[in-house]
Amino acid sequence: MAENLMERANDILERAILASAEFQEFNQEQTDKVVEAVYKAALNARISLAKMAVEETGIGIWEDKVWKNVIGTQLVYENIKNEKTVGVISDDPVTGISEIAQPLGPIFAVTPVTNPTSTAIYKILICLKSRNPIIISAHRNAAHCTGEAARICYDAALAAGAPEDCVQMIPAGSRDFTQMVMAHPRVALILATGGTGLVKAAYSSGNPAIGVGPGNVPVFIDESADIPFAISSIIRSKTFDNGTVCASEQSVIVEEKIAMAVKSEFERQYCYFLSPEEIQKVEKIAVGKESMSMSPFIVGQSVEVIAQKAGISVPKGTKILLAELPGVGKDHPLSVEILAPILAFYIAKDYHSAIKLCIDLNYLGGIGHSAGIYANNEKRILEFSQLINAGRIVVNTPTSQGAVGGTFNMLNPSLTLGCGTGGKNITTENITVKHLINIQRVCRRKMNDKFFSVDRSKYLDENCNETDLRLEYHKNH
Amino acid sequence: MLSYDFNPDERVLTCYFTGRLDTILSSQIAAELESKFESLTENTEKAAVLDFSLIFDVKEVNFISSSFIRLCVAGKKRVKDGSFSIRNSDPFIKKTFKIAGLDEILNVI
Repeated sequence: MAENLMERANDILERAILASAEFQEFNQEQTDKVVEAVYKAALNARISLAKMAVEETGIGIWEDKVWKNVIGTQLVYENIKNEKTVGVISDDPVTGISEIAQPLGPIFAVTPVTNPTSTAIYKILICLKSRNPIIISAHRNAAHCTGEAARICYDAALAAGAPEDCVQMIPAGSRDFTQMVMAHPRVALILATGGTGLVKAAYSSGNPAIGVGPGNVPVFIDESADIPFAISSIIRSKTFDNGTVCASEQSVIVEEKIAMAVKSEFERQYCYFLSPEEIQKVEKIAVGKESMSMSPFIVGQSVEVIAQKAGISVPKGTKILLAELPGVGKDHPLSVEILAPILAFYIAKDYHSAIKLCIDLNYLGGIGHSAGIYANNEKRILEFSQLINAGRIVVNTPTSQGAVGGTFNMLNPSLTLGCGTGGKNITTENITVKHLINIQRVCRRKMNDKFFSVDRSKYLDENCNETDLRLEYHKNH
Repeated sequence: MLSYDFNPDERVLTCYFTGRLDTILSSQIAAELESKFESLTENTEKAAVLDFSLIFDVKEVNFISSSFIRLCVAGKKRVKDGSFSIRNSDPFIKKTFKIAGLDEILNVI
């Protein structure tokens, strides 16, 4: 059995290597032609893929999945289409350094159940733009729609002249096989987007990896914020695809002095504050008691479904369930990341207490991911940003859409968000094409005149200290 | 730099720190704290366990060095019959303890 699996893994990688070899010969024009064809086909399929994703996974809202597919196709394409990714990509006559882009080789990409088609398309686009073949491992509950997205992209790529097997899928459902392919020595890079276990497996494989895991996004509403605007923005983000974006708001933190105004604004905008008894009921269905992680059964579900599962009754048309919590951590299950329209709410006695709560929430499973602040006070925005460990601090912006980039700000549009070393990532950036190329630097001889004009014997003289050597080095004759 | 408030009924010693708690100041404070502890406990052994709760109030502190963090850890270890906490930390000090992974152990509020 294991030998059979190994043979299959070898076969997949052999195909990918051949595609990689052929890709090496592509010039920028050929590469861009492939990328453009894939983008067009995927954008045209945005609606059918969105509907298919919702139907298969039972997660989210198809209209919002369309939006995600647009981000993964049009916005990503517009962002990368003019990037130089082949041959000499920069040439600086002053330094004498030229940069040459080289593809990495086969990229093993894992896609999540929450964004099964958009993430697949986005990864295919950035891989093809960097001339890397891609091997996709779909989530077992989204294998069909991810497979269909990959098929559409692959067919378009082939028709535009791309190498055979430049996009491959591995069968979903076998963890052993996935790990075998992931750890295969011929995989150049793993691009993993998903849960903690998956990201850990990627990093443990022995291959280079960009693994992006969970967040726990705190949002601070400062007294200087425009409260109705802030609440409407939070609702727009937290209800987007029923809260499945990992950068969606997980908790709202306010000072006591504006708490009542914020609460009544939430209520005015059709959000519902759970009573302590209702909080207990929602906790039971939303978060595993031992694991302290969200239940997969409520991910991307609507308020109605969550209320029904919890056995509570909420007003018709409720957009978000809010739980006012007295603390953070294992005694307060709703303080962890929940990818559904459930939001923790905290009232702090003053500004400093509020920020300290944000730090606690940030470190509760979301280090390095994203955070949000609503304020019209630049000093506080910067102070908050320095205190929070997040790759993206989005200001006066819905965090789901803001962190993903390309719409509310100028961040690179991306469906894989780097979390820095706090999240065991190598970067805090939004992952894009530039992370998928090796840049070679051709360094022409440019003598360092200062160094060569130093009297070398001084370096060998014990009587010369740092001051002597510094003056010698900077001597302007 | 350092003042005290001991509540004999509840057996709580609150230590109020002020200013910049750098390495030099922290070592002076350590010695000062030790004599305060000795004056409050009946046990005459060196570094005896403390039979009262200990609160470090850092409201007026604007910088803490690693020496001060060690002092806090040592204080926490000494307390046997009671609790240890650090209160009134500003967010930057809170984050320092967070990064050190000690905010929960030292009960930083």
